[in-house]
Amino acid sequence: MNNPCPFSMQHAVKTGGVAAIELRQLSKRYKGARAPALNGIDLTVREGGFFGILGPNGAGKTTLMSVLGGLLKPSSGSVLINGQDLQRHRAAIKRVLGMVPQEPAIYPTLTARENLEYFGRMQGLTGKHLQSRVEACLEIAEISGEADQRVEHFSGGFKRRLNLVIGLIHEPRILILDEPTVAIDPHSRALIHQRLRELHAAGISILISTHYMEEAEQLCQEIAIMHHGRILVQGTVGDLLAMQRNETIQMQLTGDPPAALAQKLQKLPGLQNAFVSGRCVMVTAERPDEIAVQLMQTVHEHGLGVHSMGFGASSLEQVFLSLTESKAEK
Amino acid sequence: MKQNLTKLVASILKEARIIGRDRQALFLFFVMPVVFVLILSLALRDAFGERPGATFPVLVVAGDRGEISANVIRAFRSNSHLQLTESDHASEVQVRQWLIEGRYMFAVLIPPGATEQAKRRIGEMAARVPKELLTEKPVEVRVLADPALRGDYRKVLEGALSLALHGVEMRLGGEQLDQLLKTTLGERYVPMPDMEQTPVFMPIHSEVVTKERGDPTPTSVQQNAPAWTLLAMFFLTVPLSVSFIKEREQGSLFRLQTMTVPAWVVLGGKALPYFVINLIQMASILAVSVHVLPLLGGDRLDLGHSPLAILVMGASASLAAIGFGIAVAMYARTAEQAASFSSAVVMIMAALGGILVPKAVMPPLMQDLAVFSPLSWGLDGFQDVFVRGGAVMQVMPEALGLLAFSALCHGIAILRYESRI
Ligand SMILES: Nc1ncnc2c1ncn2[C@@H]1O[C@H](COP(=O)(O)OP(=O)(O)O)[C@@H](O)[C@H]1O
Ligand SMILES: [Mg+2]
Repeated sequence: MNNPCPFSMQHAVKTGGVAAIELRQLSKRYKGARAPALNGIDLTVREGGFFGILGPNGAGKTTLMSVLGGLLKPSSGSVLINGQDLQRHRAAIKRVLGMVPQEPAIYPTLTARENLEYFGRMQGLTGKHLQSRVEACLEIAEISGEADQRVEHFSGGFKRRLNLVIGLIHEPRILILDEPTVAIDPHSRALIHQRLRELHAAGISILISTHYMEEAEQLCQEIAIMHHGRILVQGTVGDLLAMQRNETIQMQLTGDPPAALAQKLQKLPGLQNAFVSGRCVMVTAERPDEIAVQLMQTVHEHGLGVHSMGFGASSLEQVFLSLTESKAEK
Repeated sequence: MKQNLTKLVASILKEARIIGRDRQALFLFFVMPVVFVLILSLALRDAFGERPGATFPVLVVAGDRGEISANVIRAFRSNSHLQLTESDHASEVQVRQWLIEGRYMFAVLIPPGATEQAKRRIGEMAARVPKELLTEKPVEVRVLADPALRGDYRKVLEGALSLALHGVEMRLGGEQLDQLLKTTLGERYVPMPDMEQTPVFMPIHSEVVTKERGDPTPTSVQQNAPAWTLLAMFFLTVPLSVSFIKEREQGSLFRLQTMTVPAWVVLGGKALPYFVINLIQMASILAVSVHVLPLLGGDRLDLGHSPLAILVMGASASLAAIGFGIAVAMYARTAEQAASFSSAVVMIMAALGGILVPKAVMPPLMQDLAVFSPLSWGLDGFQDVFVRGGAVMQVMPEALGLLAFSALCHGIAILRYESRI
């Protein structure tokens, strides 16, 4: 499989120590599915890092989280947690991982406290330690006052807050959250953001998926943009923001480009970055008008025409949208 | 291991709590089966085997005090299924009214002077009076019947009545012949032997011939109590599989998979509370059949001599049902799918296994097919205890069959659970 990520800025990642999460060429194809849900994912979350995976619905975020949580076997590739292979050291790894699933995974007819106690016991906690963790988690979620109400009477925000702290009950060193703030009231979202920052400050490694641009920008140190099971671009928030200041050219091609097109374009003088995604090409350059002719020539050399072409400044949001929507059109 | 046991206990308590908060489920688990057994045992009590106490009321209006009345009354009295009332003066209008009111199901009206009339007619016949010139009419014994009386029972009663009247006819005819011989033979007359003292035929004793072990046919309650216990147990697979799938849909099952909780803790935590519910169901159905049913006029269930054998059967049947429910849960995609599939399969297994319709009334081919239903094994096992007085050894084949079925289902379920990860 060729490199599915046409452009990556990983230099910031290589800062010492064993990575908390390391994915190597991870692929997953569901039985009977035409396209793989994960297609050669390479990704590193360093220890103590705060990593965001940004992608629209169906990008493969939940699939990725499920592989990390040991719920799904990958079709190929490897998952290393704290440098240990997930398949071979499942039991040890499960103890350091805290999972917060996308849908609140709670028992509706039990109370918040009963839910926390039950999952705490399932994590192996007992006695006073269990009780103090339950109290702590209720406080973190700010639901101490509602601790003895059945969860079915909770609002969406309360359910998500409880869902979050169930993932924290055993004090995991690595926290994996799948869209923890979808469809939630502003207060609950702010609270969850606040708690995640505190956990990050306490040295917990965090991997969070989201489809909210600004959530990723506000919280994360590093971001990967994911679409159709591939990572389109990843880098530090600084790198991606720097990209925003550049001018861009967007082109719509008349046919499917060969895989090597991105690398070819990358070599053009004066061009900074190039993304190819389906029939959509986006390049950034300081003087876009100067490279436009060369750009079109390179495209023609591959036997392709240009359907449409446009100039403009890009925001991270635009990068995200143009990369993901062009694929969705197909 | 110790840690896993604590997890198992916590899972059981969690499940018990969830079930305990579901009022509708509690009603379905405990009230429904008991009500079913009561209603069906009472409704079907006459549809099964011989019931020494099951009688229906018969009235004989003995208009004459002669041999005809005596013979008919004697014939009916010897039948333990009849509850006989005698009257010597009730009018036909009155009797019809009683039948309509349901006081009697069958009434025989013997007209006044019937015996005298019969004697006179036989006398004329012996005197060779030509048929057209006979002055005495044949005696008319009338029968009135409640339409609710089953046709076959009515035929049996009519048969018994005819037999009694024929007996009278024979005797009166014999007396007449005797008289005739005495007058014609004079000195050479020897009286006829008394047929009643020296019968020609042996009294009839029917021997029941069955395939095996000289099976007694189960009574209504012996069929219904175990049958509905089994059906209630197997119907628990519906809420069991639904609760499992709900747990999957709610994500809590996946959450448990991200923790170090082995499959047997998850499955055991689910299964054990339902196992206890099954045993409570059995205990309550049997208790009602023993203590409440007789108060309502039904038969009391005889539990046999081996409580241990009952427990063995109940436990094996419950484990079989639970295994089935868990296997369904593992393969069904949605709760609706699990519910409709498991209830359909349970109903088919119940129909096939002689739960809905007793095996005794099925044609031989269907009786052979019943072997394929685990519910049939359960029913056989319980009836080994209740009907045939069996102990643990006698129920072993059925219990082991159910346990093997349970093991198979659990095996399939665990394979599927592990392969999902
Ligand atoms: N259990 C499944 N079986 C088959 N296909 C699935 C399954 N779960 C998800 N998919 C498919 O995999 C792709 C990625 O889904 P998902 O990981 O849920 O995306 P996201 O969480 O980013 O919205 C989608 O095309 C989805 O339809
Ligand atoms: Mg998702």
